[in-house]
Amino acid sequence: MSDVVLNNIGKTYPNGYHAIPSIDLTIEEGEFIVLVGPSGCGKSTLLRMVAGLETISQGDLMIKGAKVNDKEPADRDIAMVFQNYALYPHMTVYANMAYGLKNRGESKEVIAEKVTSVANMLGLEELLERKPKQLSGGQRQRVAMGRAMVRDPKVFLFDEPLSNLDAKLRVQMRVEIRQLQRKLGTTTLYVTHDQVEAMTLADRLVVLNKGKAEQIGSPMALYNKPATPFVAAFIGSPSMNLLPANLDEQGICLSDRLSLPLVHDHRGSIIWGIRPEHLEVVDEANADFALRIQAVESLGAETLIHGTVDLGVKQEPMVVRLAGPHWPEINSLLWLKAPLDHWHVFDAVTQQRL
Amino acid sequence: MNLWQGAVLMSVYFPHKKLPYLLVLPQLVITLIFFLWPAEQAFEQAFYQEDAFGLSREFVGFDNFVYLFNDPQYYKSIWVTLVFSFSVAFSGLAIALWLAVMADRVIRGKLTYQTLLVWPYAVAPALAGVLWWLLFDPSMGPIALWLQYFGVDWNHFLNGDQAMTLVVISATWKQISYNFLFFLAGLQAVPRSLIEAASIDGASPFKRFWTIVFPLLSPTTFFLLVINLVYAFFDTFGVIDATTQGGPGVSTATMVYKVFNDGFIGLDMGSSAAQSVVLMFLVGVMTVIQFRYIERKVEY
Amino acid sequence: MIENRPWLTFVSHFSLLLGIGVVALPVWVALVASTHPSSAFGAGEIPLWFGDQALENWRSVFLGEASSGVDVPVWYMMLNSFIMALGITVGKLFISLLSAYAIVFFRFPFRGACFWVIFITLMLPVEVRIVPTYEVVANLDMLNSYSGLILPLIASATATFLFRQCFMTMPGELIEAARIDGAGPIRFFFDILLPMSRTNIAALFVIMFIYGWNQYLWPVIITTDDAYYTLVMSIKRMLAVDQGDIEWNHVMVTTLLAMIPPVAVVIGMQKLFVKGLVDAEK
Ligand SMILES: Nc1ncnc2c1ncn2[C@@H]1O[C@H](COP(=O)(O)OP(=O)(O)OP(=O)(O)O)[C@@H](O)[C@H]1O
Ligand SMILES: [Mg+2]
Repeated sequence: MSDVVLNNIGKTYPNGYHAIPSIDLTIEEGEFIVLVGPSGCGKSTLLRMVAGLETISQGDLMIKGAKVNDKEPADRDIAMVFQNYALYPHMTVYANMAYGLKNRGESKEVIAEKVTSVANMLGLEELLERKPKQLSGGQRQRVAMGRAMVRDPKVFLFDEPLSNLDAKLRVQMRVEIRQLQRKLGTTTLYVTHDQVEAMTLADRLVVLNKGKAEQIGSPMALYNKPATPFVAAFIGSPSMNLLPANLDEQGICLSDRLSLPLVHDHRGSIIWGIRPEHLEVVDEANADFALRIQAVESLGAETLIHGTVDLGVKQEPMVVRLAGPHWPEINSLLWLKAPLDHWHVFDAVTQQRL
Repeated sequence: MNLWQGAVLMSVYFPHKKLPYLLVLPQLVITLIFFLWPAEQAFEQAFYQEDAFGLSREFVGFDNFVYLFNDPQYYKSIWVTLVFSFSVAFSGLAIALWLAVMADRVIRGKLTYQTLLVWPYAVAPALAGVLWWLLFDPSMGPIALWLQYFGVDWNHFLNGDQAMTLVVISATWKQISYNFLFFLAGLQAVPRSLIEAASIDGASPFKRFWTIVFPLLSPTTFFLLVINLVYAFFDTFGVIDATTQGGPGVSTATMVYKVFNDGFIGLDMGSSAAQSVVLMFLVGVMTVIQFRYIERKVEY
Repeated sequence: MIENRPWLTFVSHFSLLLGIGVVALPVWVALVASTHPSSAFGAGEIPLWFGDQALENWRSVFLGEASSGVDVPVWYMMLNSFIMALGITVGKLFISLLSAYAIVFFRFPFRGACFWVIFITLMLPVEVRIVPTYEVVANLDMLNSYSGLILPLIASATATFLFRQCFMTMPGELIEAARIDGAGPIRFFFDILLPMSRTNIAALFVIMFIYGWNQYLWPVIITTDDAYYTLVMSIKRMLAVDQGDIEWNHVMVTTLLAMIPPVAVVIGMQKLFVKGLVDAEK
């Protein structure tokens, strides 16, 4: 049975701002859905509508088959983890975790049992009597998750829960969240603008752009077959190289000087894309084009080479990603081949994949 | 804690219809009965002339105001108020600033010094007046006797200027602690690195103070100036009533004292009400200034 | 300090000690005066060192045996002062916590109007509108009563204003977390808002208590029955005799007794008070 259904959901803020035109999304039980997109695209707005913190201007929200549009957050059987954790500063860790249960009228024994078992799961046993002020950032994060978990909700909602942590801790917590969610099997809606987080956590990703869902699908589907240039650029790091071109009988015509053979019946202006990791260094004879090297970033395990491709009328920037260390000279030419099966071609007008 | 950072109205709130009215009700009722109603009465009263026994009254239009602003006594009271208020504000600010700068310098005993300087805040103005009266009592006050020894003929019951000096001293004494606390807090908020940079640039402590610290303190100073003027205008009634009762003559009768005196002693309700209206207008102006200042601070 | 200048350090300590001395001087003289018989205060003389009448003076004033011009003993007036001060403090905290809560955390029609009606009183002390306020209280038949002493002085928005500032700094996500945890407005008020504002409440308690205790003009005007006299205002009665007849020893005992409770509160709760004062009004 589908767990959470968003049916034509839209949001218009009281000031008239149309944050979300319309979104349809069906989430299966136990699924981990990640909402990604640039800042201001409406991720939090959508999540908060599901939580009941923001009114729904249009459409239906169903949780476990029941319409919950007008229910108070506490009655929706959801739990939320906030970016700055929103722990009650005057309450101990225990009281923070117990507060929701207490308000529901659970007995002291039940509360104690639930809080203790969640605390054990998260390794918070030692911290139960501390106040939030006496905790480190990572510990606070854990308590915030614990508070969500004790309620044993139908849906977990996370709004950028890791963005206040340092890079290392973020990786560690990311893994932990995924493991916990698998173990508990709770349906999860997770907001982030970090595409690595999105790729590693999600069963399915929703890429939002200006309040619209650009594409919904598994991380690999989005990586392999992005539906629009927006998704193509957003998923993957460094971003896909996207070049404007023209499609005609000879193939993809990047400029008078450079065209790549392709048989396709579409005609007109397109956007041609290739990921940095799919470009191959070859000798001049087999190359499709040459890159004039401008900067080299050596990361040890891989090397990123930034440069430009000379198209005659203009220079197009391009990035190449190579495994292992390389030391090419700045300003020298690097001969590249773009294998046909890694090409992405989008209609420049409709922005749709061809 | 910066109390103004939330000045943008909170975007998160409870969706309730009746509860908020219930919550503001007590304060609204109290305000209506004990503030707006009297204020309205004052406005009304200001346009009537009442006989001394309050038995009859007659509408007189702006006569009370016209009379007021043609009354040399009223101008005298404005003058007294100005002299009194600015004397209190300036001496209080100067002494407190000096002490705060000194206290900010010392390393040891800062808290002890603070404790020994803040307590006069808690003393009622009327009591402050009585305490200083004893010191300046013309027949036996130690300071008065000492002044007389040096040839100053001290008698604040007869000499208006001396009476003014006495009430200024009493009122200032009480206000120093308040100013001191704010100046000290202001000084402690001056970034250490600025002072260090200046001293590396070779500025002497004296120069550092006037070129760096004092300009940075100017918001605090301005805030305190307004607060001190308001204090001297309105909260010092007790000082005056307990020591000089506005005398000798009217030489220490401030505007607030005159409202009381004309209303309760002179039983001239119309004039007293007109004076209340003028004062309310003045306070309104001061409140606006205060808010302006606060708004400007928000932008910092 | 950055550099070590011994003479500057000396000047600092010297100035502070001088300041403390001048500030304490009147209280010292009052203390000395309170230990002598009234005959010690003649023309041209005042004792400068402690006498031996301390116990006698303090006892007789406290119990009302010394003639003071007031029919009730000092301990009784002290009680009145406490009732008035606590009444004003508790009353102000009560109405202003509630109204600040409504104004910050709710949106309702006429919210702006309520806001302005309340905040118009912000800086207008009772002294300014003394005559009409007296008449209103007289109309309500509240002269010579505790409610008459207390209620009109509650009508000021300072505390509401400060609580409003304090509440507005609360992170919005905390309220959302509480809503998800199933806390309605009333639970939120008691479980989250009050405990989180307790430092501010305590600091305001100190400030309001001092304000209430030190009231002078209002009690002078509305009490004609000695049973409602407060300690601070009774000074007026004791001084309302011919100048030569003032019993300075008794006046000073009364003055000191009237100072002790608020001064003790300020010194005892100094940290809280300083924080409350400086933070609140900034
Ligand atoms: N209360 C509001 N009133 C009007 N517009 C709002 C309101 N809250 C958010 N918006 C607007 O709605 C849009 C979406 O906001 P939202 O907070 O959902 O963005 P987001 O995707 O979560 O961004 P971020 O990654 O920065 O958190 C933004 O353009 C924002 O300016
Ligand atoms: Mg967001």
